[in-house]
This record gives sequence, C-alpha cells and structure tokens, in this order.
Amino acid sequence: MLKIKDLTVRYKKKIGIKNLNLEVHKGEVIGFIGSDGVGKSSALNAIAGVLKFEGKISYKGMSYTSPKEALEVKKQIGYMPQGIGLVLYDTLTVSEHLDFFADIRDITIDAEFLEYKQNLLKMSGLERFLQRKAGELSGGMMQKLSLICTILHRPSLLILDEPTTGVDPLSRIEFWEILKHNSQNYGAISIVSTAYMNEASKMDRVVLFDQSTAIAIGTTVELLKEIEPFVYEKTVQKFPNSLTVGEATYSLEKLDIPHQTPILESLFFINSLKHNALLPALKISQKNLAKNTNKITIKANKITKRFGKFIANESVDMELHRGEIVGLLGANGAGKTTFIKMILGLLPIDSGELSLLNKKITSAKDRQELKSKIGYVSQHFALYDDMTVRENMLFFALMHKISRKKAKELIGEYADELGFREYLDDMPRSLPLGINQRFSLAVALLHDPIILCLDEPTSGVDAIARRQFWDLLQELKIKRDISILITTHYMSEAEFCDRVVLLKDGKKIADKKIAEFYEEFPNAHDFEEIFLEYYR
Amino acid sequence: MHPFFTILLKELLIFFRSTGLVLMVIYFFTAEVYVAGDGVEVEAKNISIAIVDKSAGGISKKIISSLHAPEFQTPKFYTSQKELSDAIYDRDIMIGLIFDEDFEKNYYKHLNPQINILVDSTTASQSLMALGYLQNIVMDFNKMQLPITMKIHKLFNQNATTSYFMSLSELLSVITLLTVILTAVVFVKEKENGTWDIMLLMPVNPKIIILAKSFSQIIIVMIGTFLSVGIVLFKGFNIPLNGSLLNFFILTFFYVWTTAGLGLFIAAVSKTVTQIAQLSIVIMMPIIFLSGAWTPIYAMHPILQTLSIFSPLRYYIEGSESIFFRGSGFIDLLPYFGGVILLGIVLYWYGFRKIGKLF
Repeated sequence: MLKIKDLTVRYKKKIGIKNLNLEVHKGEVIGFIGSDGVGKSSALNAIAGVLKFEGKISYKGMSYTSPKEALEVKKQIGYMPQGIGLVLYDTLTVSEHLDFFADIRDITIDAEFLEYKQNLLKMSGLERFLQRKAGELSGGMMQKLSLICTILHRPSLLILDEPTTGVDPLSRIEFWEILKHNSQNYGAISIVSTAYMNEASKMDRVVLFDQSTAIAIGTTVELLKEIEPFVYEKTVQKFPNSLTVGEATYSLEKLDIPHQTPILESLFFINSLKHNALLPALKISQKNLAKNTNKITIKANKITKRFGKFIANESVDMELHRGEIVGLLGANGAGKTTFIKMILGLLPIDSGELSLLNKKITSAKDRQELKSKIGYVSQHFALYDDMTVRENMLFFALMHKISRKKAKELIGEYADELGFREYLDDMPRSLPLGINQRFSLAVALLHDPIILCLDEPTSGVDAIARRQFWDLLQELKIKRDISILITTHYMSEAEFCDRVVLLKDGKKIADKKIAEFYEEFPNAHDFEEIFLEYYR
Repeated sequence: MHPFFTILLKELLIFFRSTGLVLMVIYFFTAEVYVAGDGVEVEAKNISIAIVDKSAGGISKKIISSLHAPEFQTPKFYTSQKELSDAIYDRDIMIGLIFDEDFEKNYYKHLNPQINILVDSTTASQSLMALGYLQNIVMDFNKMQLPITMKIHKLFNQNATTSYFMSLSELLSVITLLTVILTAVVFVKEKENGTWDIMLLMPVNPKIIILAKSFSQIIIVMIGTFLSVGIVLFKGFNIPLNGSLLNFFILTFFYVWTTAGLGLFIAAVSKTVTQIAQLSIVIMMPIIFLSGAWTPIYAMHPILQTLSIFSPLRYYIEGSESIFFRGSGFIDLLPYFGGVILLGIVLYWYGFRKIGKLF
C-alpha cells in the first residue's frame, strides 16, 4: 500500500536520509529505530508530506514527490510530531480537545463515532480526566491524548515521531495497545520512530537507522538470526576487528569462543564493525583522590521543591556513597532534573536537609568551597558553541584555578583517553553527540571531583556510544572511587547502576540495589517489567 | 590567571567569533550614526518650484531671481494657475508662486501687494522650511521700506548644521542601546544554551563573574565609540571639537557602566534573547524620550521635565554637547559627570543585586 522508493532528504549542509526503500502493507506497524540525528525524523516528515524530498512515495496508488503533491494524501494521514504534547492546547480540557479535533476534521457525530471515541478513552484511561486541562496532564497522558486526537478521524496512515520518548512505562504500554488495536481493527498503517530498543518487540517490522541510512529492514526475529554468527560470549582477549561492549563480544571473523544470543543493539554494533566505524578504545587513568573518611558523599533528607502549586519533589530521601553509581530513573516530569539541581544548588531547596561530603548545606557560602569537589554534565551537554573543544576545556580548567601548563597537559591526557583528540579544534555543535558526551565528561572531570552528577548524559546518543559511556562510568567508579549520580529515562539502563532510585510524580517509589529488585520480582525479564510493577 | 581575566577574554573571544553580532555593532556605530546625521534632513534643499507670473513686471522678476540653488531648483514657468495646480497634484512641483496681474501696480501704490503661494505640504517640515525661506526673500526685498532688520547670530553650530546635532545624539543613543542589549545578551545567551548552570558551579565568586562579563561588553562599546567618533563624526561630518576628547571618553565610560546596570536588570528578568529585545525597548524608550535627544527638554510638559532628571542619557547628551560644541572645561562638566555617576551607582548596584540573586 505504501511504497517508498529511493527517498533522499537533503538539507543545506547535510543529508537527512539517503536512499530509503520500503514497502508497507495494510495493518502493519513499522518501527524506525535509531538514535538522534540518524534520519528517522527526516524520513517520517517526508512520508507525511511536510518536507521536500527526492525519490518517490506512493500511497494507495497516489504518488507524490513534494509536499504540494501530497495534499490529496494528507487527508488520510495522521501525524504526531516529536515532542510531548505538541499537538495539544494547554488550556483546553480533554473533552474539549476531542470536540475540537472532531470539528476540524469534519467528522460526522453518529453512534458509531461515539462508540469509537468512548472505546479510545477507555483504553487510554483518560475517561476519568475528561474535565482536566491538557496542561495539567502528565507526560504519558498527554501523549495518549495526542494519539487519540490524531486517530480520531481514522487516518489510514499514521506517522508518529518518537511518541513514547520520556513517557512512563505504564503509559507506554497503554499507548501501544491503542496503536495495535487501531491497526488490527481498522487496518491502518503505523510508522513509529523510537529510541527504545525494547519497543521493537511491539512492531511487525523494524527499520534500523544509522548515519542517515537504513542499515536493516525486517522482523526482529529475522534480523537477530542474521547476526547470530557474529555474536560471542564476552571475552577479555583482544582480537583484530572485534568489539566488546556490554555483555558480548562481536567479531566478523570466526572466533573460537561459544556463541551468544544477540540482542537488538547488537545490530548496531555489527554495523559499526562492518563499516569500520568503531569508537577508539576508551579508558580512564587511575587517580587517588582525597580519601574522605566518611563514605557518604550525598545525604538528602526529605527534600521538597514546589513550583507554585506544582510539587516537583516531595520529601525525597537519598544517600550516595563513594564508589557507587546511583541511577535516578523516572519518566519525563518525574522530578529527576529538579532533584539533581537541588543537590547542585542550582535550585533552592524549599524544605528538607542536605549534606554534601559530610557538610551540612545551609547557605550558598557552604557550597562555595564544595564546588571544586563536584563535577556536572548538564542535559544536552551545554558548552560554549563559539569556542573550540580545546578552548572550552582550557576555559573551564582556568576557572578551576588549574595552571595553564597543567591544564594543557590535562586536555591532552583526556583527549587521548576519551578519544577526541582529532576533534580538539572543532566547534562543539559541529560534532556528533557521542563526541560531545565524552568531551563534556572530560570537562566535568578536569578538577578531579569526588561527586559526579550527570543529567541524562545518554539521551539521543547512539547505542554503541551509550554502552561505551556506561563502561566508562564503571571504570571511573573503580579507578577513582568517586560517587556518580546519574539520571536517565531509559529504564533498561538501570542494569548498569549499583543502586536505583525510582521517581514518579516527584515522589520516590523505590530505592534498591539491582540484585534486590530481581529478588523481589524473580519472574521479570528486564527492568522495564520491574518498574512497570512499581508504576502500577 | 585571575578568573576575572579568564572570563573577560572568553567573552571577548565569543563576541568576535559571532559574526552576526560583530556586524550589528559595526553597523550601529557607523552606518546608523551616519544615516541619522546625513539622512534626517530638515533644511530646505533642492525644492521644486514653479511660477505663474501675470504681472510681467520687474519686481516679480527680481523676486524670482533670488530663487536659486541649493534651496530651490531652477523655477518652471506656467501660464495659468490651472496648469500649476495640476503640476502640484502630479507631484512635479512642491511650491508654486502666483503673481497677480495688478501685483506690481499695488506694490507701487502701497496697496498691500499679494503673492499667492500653493504648497504641497505632504512633507510638512520641508515645506515649512521652504516657506520660511520664501518669507525671508520677500522680506529682504522689502528691506528698504522696513525700519527694522534682523541680524541673526547662530552660536555653537554656526551654520546650524543639523548633521552635527543629529549624528552626535544618534551616537549617544546607539551607545545606550548597544550597552543595554550586549550586556543583557552575554548573560541570557548562557541561560539559553544551558551553560549558565555550569557557570554557577564554578568555584569562582559570582561577583567576579558578573563584573568580568559586564566589563567585557563595556570594552566592546568603548572601542565602537572610539571608531564612531573618529570615522563618522570627525571624518564624515567634520564635527568641531571645542573641548577635551579625553573628557568625552571618561564621561562615556561612566555612562556605559550606568547603562550596563540596566542591561543586568534586563538579563535578570529575561529568559530568552527575544525577551531582551522586547524589554529593552520598553525600558529604553522613556529614557531616550526624556533625555532630550529628540525634543529639547524645555519644550516638554513640566511633569516630564521633572522626570527627565532621572534619565542618565540627559546628562550624557548635555555633557557631550558641551564638550564638542561649547568646549566646556572639566569644572563646567562636573554637574554632568555627577548626574551620570550618581544614577550609575544606583542603576548598576540595582542590576548587580538583581542578577546576583540568580547565583
């Protein structure tokens, strides 16, 4: 039904997606999987007819090669852009939204439609919130409402751009149920992009994207079968043209090691192997940082933060020890960033007590001397865009009162260890996110902090860089005995932490060691499932 | 290196790297000042004029002979009033003179001779100026009969060249505008890019950060002023300098600190660069209005006159004009220095505190 031939999207300076070929049949759910900036959105926008492209797309026999020609097809398209609640109006209630979207789509209000609408509301669990304004809904509910509004006129071609990113696991399940129901009962084609690998199981077929090309198309079973011969059990031995990330070793040549079942991420690793696009081996040098007699580096006691009526964090307790990685997990709006910002002193604490490195924090003055003990990597790796990587690092080193000579040595050292020496004289915004991620980490480590706070350092970064980053954090923990507090909305990344603090709507709902989680839910396959239990 | 200089150098580096900002600053300090001085023309110049002369006498000829360049174009002649008014309607002619048939007769009989004038007053000030010129010409002609003649001395700006006044006050307005915007931008850009948080976590006294950041922009504005005075004011308009240039730059330096305080205040309350633009206009308009840059203060409503005491730009403009045109010495400039410094202390202190609260 939907045929895409040689789809190429070009921007002024770069290529969005090149030569995508795809055929989709009635009722299929297709997943576009890949990290930020690999061409998923470009492809989706072209299919939705909102972007100029080369090549040809035809849907139900109507073919178009430009947004202008796509006008006729657009009536049958339901499109949800990237970002939470973008199609919604903050001040309209849920039921007003449904009326509004029915109105602009000119839907005849008959018994059938009312039943369809009622069913959608029931499945999404929005029934109870008909009179609530969209601005006051949680991220998950907003996305479900957006989806309902998008499929209200029963489009036969649904295009959803990262609808579940940052949404809580429970809402994500309901979201997928609605979507599945829609495809099965009404034969609609759905094309959904996602950054979560584990959502692939919900899709009929997946398209994996890497560096503006589709590297694999097929069902997950097919794709995993294809790469089976290249996946081996994890080994410390070094082989040429091989790669060890996470729990497995990958090699294109035959190795004398037992095989292992591949996971979907393996597809990306093997693709990098094939294209020789491997990351340099990263390492962190050993350092003996000030031996603090007290093991506890952060102690938060009933910390609360309010923004007007909205409570961002409610009585959150937390402890962080030396040589420990604590993951602060939760959906968008769960209060992860607020919490980390209160710890850092970027937001005042409304009530509760906080001690850092055994010192009680009561005023900004208390923090002044602690600043040299704390490192921070902010969301989206914010650094100065008009200065090169080297200049950025030098600036921060000088600000930390490191001498110019010492700073230059440090820059060279980290550039080699974290593999960004060749990018030292580039501007940060021209670099891939993975490089920015490592260089931001280097900036945060320049002054040898004892506490390292990382705010979503893995979001948007591709699978291989993400895995390596976690390996790096592990090494950092072991070699320097520092405390790491990290936030993420990837539930699957919980595996890499020593302990996980789970936040929901500003409240702490779990705080356990990884093993303890598995003891509590012995039947769970992965963390996604464990957290789902907590969300219920 | 002291963190103060680290931050200062970083800000200067970032400024010179952002081409757009550099071009904007150069534009404001050169073209904007030049256009204001040269382009805003309120003198009568090159006016098209036409004549219908039915008197056919010597007097009208004499009057017509005084209509010449640079004020007027060579007059055109029409035979009827109809033709003339058509020409005015078609915008070919701006001013038309009609001498009646008995104009000359009446003149000799002292019977109140009359010249009829038709004016296209779409551009009001130009046409008013032109009328003034015409009156002068006729008055000159009448001189023999008039017992009193006016002798006008124009002081300080002998030719009353508007470009002197306009370009200088435009430069001063540009300094105000740029200082406020640039100072606010260096802070808010960090908020926008998310680097603000990282800045806050540096083990450096926030006061040093604020001082260094605002000082970097003051340097930029001072360089711009220096270039503008040298290239546009002196080279472009030949502005006379009767006082000490050093005094002017010292006064400018204090004034720029004052306005940087405003910039800090705006930076503290805005989240995006767009907000800065909106707020700057709202806050700076009254300051420029009340300063006397556009209208002399004595022509304002008494309440506004009182309010203008609080516009730092007022002291700066009056002080600068005194330096350039009146050639006032340092002692005479003290009130202006006092006004700028006093308001400066208040404004900078307030802005400093306001933004300091964010640290």
